Amino acid sequence: MPALLEVKNLATHFTTRDGIVKAVDGVSFTLEQGKILAVVGESGSGKSVTALSIMRLVAEPQGRIVSGEVLFKGDDVLKMNDSQVRELRGDRIAMIFQDPMTSLNPVFRVGRQIGESLVLHKGMSRKEAFERAAELLDMVGIPHPRERARDYPHQFSGGMRQRAMIAMALACDPDILIADEPTTALDVTIQAQILELMMEMQERTGAAIIIITHDLGVVADMADDVMVMYAGKQVEYGTSDQVFYRPLHPYTWGLLASLPRHDVDEKGALRPIAGQPPSLINVPSGCAFHPRCPHARGLCSADAPELIDANSGHLAACHISPDERLLLQPPGRGGGVR
Amino acid sequence: MVKYVVRRAFQMIPVFIGVTLILFVLRAPGVLPGDPVRMITGERAISDALREQIIQKHALDQPLYRQYVLYVSNILKGDLGESFQRGRPVLDILADKFPNTLRLAVAGIIIEAIIGVTAGIISAVRQYSFLDVLVTLSTSILVSVPVFWLGMLFQIFFGIKLKEWTGGTFYLPISQMSSANFPDWVHIILPAITLASVSTAYVARIMRSQMLESMGQDYIRTAEAKGLTRRAVTFRHALKNALIPVVTFVGIDFGVMMGGAILTETVFSWPGVGREIFLAVGQRDWPIVMGGVIVIVFLVMIINLLVDLSYALLDPRIRYGGGAE
Repeated sequence: MPALLEVKNLATHFTTRDGIVKAVDGVSFTLEQGKILAVVGESGSGKSVTALSIMRLVAEPQGRIVSGEVLFKGDDVLKMNDSQVRELRGDRIAMIFQDPMTSLNPVFRVGRQIGESLVLHKGMSRKEAFERAAELLDMVGIPHPRERARDYPHQFSGGMRQRAMIAMALACDPDILIADEPTTALDVTIQAQILELMMEMQERTGAAIIIITHDLGVVADMADDVMVMYAGKQVEYGTSDQVFYRPLHPYTWGLLASLPRHDVDEKGALRPIAGQPPSLINVPSGCAFHPRCPHARGLCSADAPELIDANSGHLAACHISPDERLLLQPPGRGGGVR
Repeated sequence: MVKYVVRRAFQMIPVFIGVTLILFVLRAPGVLPGDPVRMITGERAISDALREQIIQKHALDQPLYRQYVLYVSNILKGDLGESFQRGRPVLDILADKFPNTLRLAVAGIIIEAIIGVTAGIISAVRQYSFLDVLVTLSTSILVSVPVFWLGMLFQIFFGIKLKEWTGGTFYLPISQMSSANFPDWVHIILPAITLASVSTAYVARIMRSQMLESMGQDYIRTAEAKGLTRRAVTFRHALKNALIPVVTFVGIDFGVMMGGAILTETVFSWPGVGREIFLAVGQRDWPIVMGGVIVIVFLVMIINLLVDLSYALLDPRIRYGGGAE
């Protein structure tokens, strides 16, 4: 039986006035039924575009999926016609966006917006869909759901709107839920609630989740697998344990080191990764991370490292040899992460 | 809601005082040339007795502020005075002309709304297409064409040239007097298009930019992610948001049109309020000018209020006077 979702060598490019932006440049991963995959990286690393590409929501004509395959239960989404893709969207693959303030349409009632995909995909009447929307709001923990379904988005708080977005995404009982930085725009206390809700919903519905974030701490306890992206490429891929306890790539080391730790009193010693994320128009030669990498050597600027299986499915794209990695003592961690 | 309407009604009071005061001062002796008695009687010679009678009747011997108070209290009683030239109450004269103005305004606003909104949507949905360029270019030209000139062009082309070229089989009447062999409503076509021209161009431009802005919003992506068709996304999710500012513009414009389109009505000899005011200015028939302006101001204020209230129907974020948020 084919995997739930298999992405092979996906590349999405944008044409801009300054040149071609390779937002996603050869990304491959597999998502199994009921698993949670975290996609981690800085802004502009291609996380969101990867997600949008899976749903074929990349804004054309500037953005174009130039190569690769996105196999949903064995069928290539990229080869489907528009109506086939629309049947997947919202029904089999649903998405939650970053900013719940702007992701809901201000002029329609929340219940109607949640029910919209039920009318579309499940053939419900507007009234049935509205009823079901109220049940969904109840499920995601909105008090007085029947009344609140009649509210407009501006009458909801940020956290409630994101709950409504989750209800909307789960309406048709999708196989895959893609969450694009679902907590970034929310208060820290609300963030935890939303993540908890997503876990709970995952257990309840059995949907697989792709969660996109720039905050490794957010996904530490949650994800089964972690994919680290840099400049449109995968630099590391493995199980959550592998990536957190035995990270292989210097960029992942940097991400882990830059997490604020709550178990050690370091007096404000945040350790950011030096330098800026690269321009995606003029990506550095060789390994795109080499200008910022403290362990870079001659080979790194000349030759792009392949993504190599270092240890039972734990992949990394780095020239540093396994023996040398042990000497460099990367900051693997687990318990201290939020 | 009721509170809001009452508050808005109170806000009309200073506007009313301001408008009447300005109008009153303008016609006061010494500000504009002309003896008020002469304005009423015209050039013919009159006896001192008659002169005295006119002064008494119009309270012209009273101090200026008294005259003003008298004038305002008459207005409040629904009396806009009597025309100098025609010897009829101003209110009757305006009431006679108003249906014509209303008819023209309704025709104009229908053209403006339908053509403007449609052109704007097409232009936005097919951005950078031939149609978009056509709409953008033609609206740029149209907003800068003077209304009276456009009216004259229409008259020359549709009323005269076309008639000559087709031997009188096809043409459009340029005024009600010019032809009897058309059904009544045909006369309104050219004036209505002329009246609506500039506003239609504005509506198309506002509609286009609002639509483009609305289609770039996050909630559009949410709608697409639900699997909705392009059409449903555009006409359900984008359009309702984009229409809000357009409705305001069209609504306010309707108020302005109701007050009479002085240029259009004059060019087409359309017997409406605007033309009446234009004629009255020429004759220095001050009661008509003042009464007309006051009625226009009043109508515009009422329509503005209605437009603001209709906002709440389109945009749930706006609620007047308490209620939810």
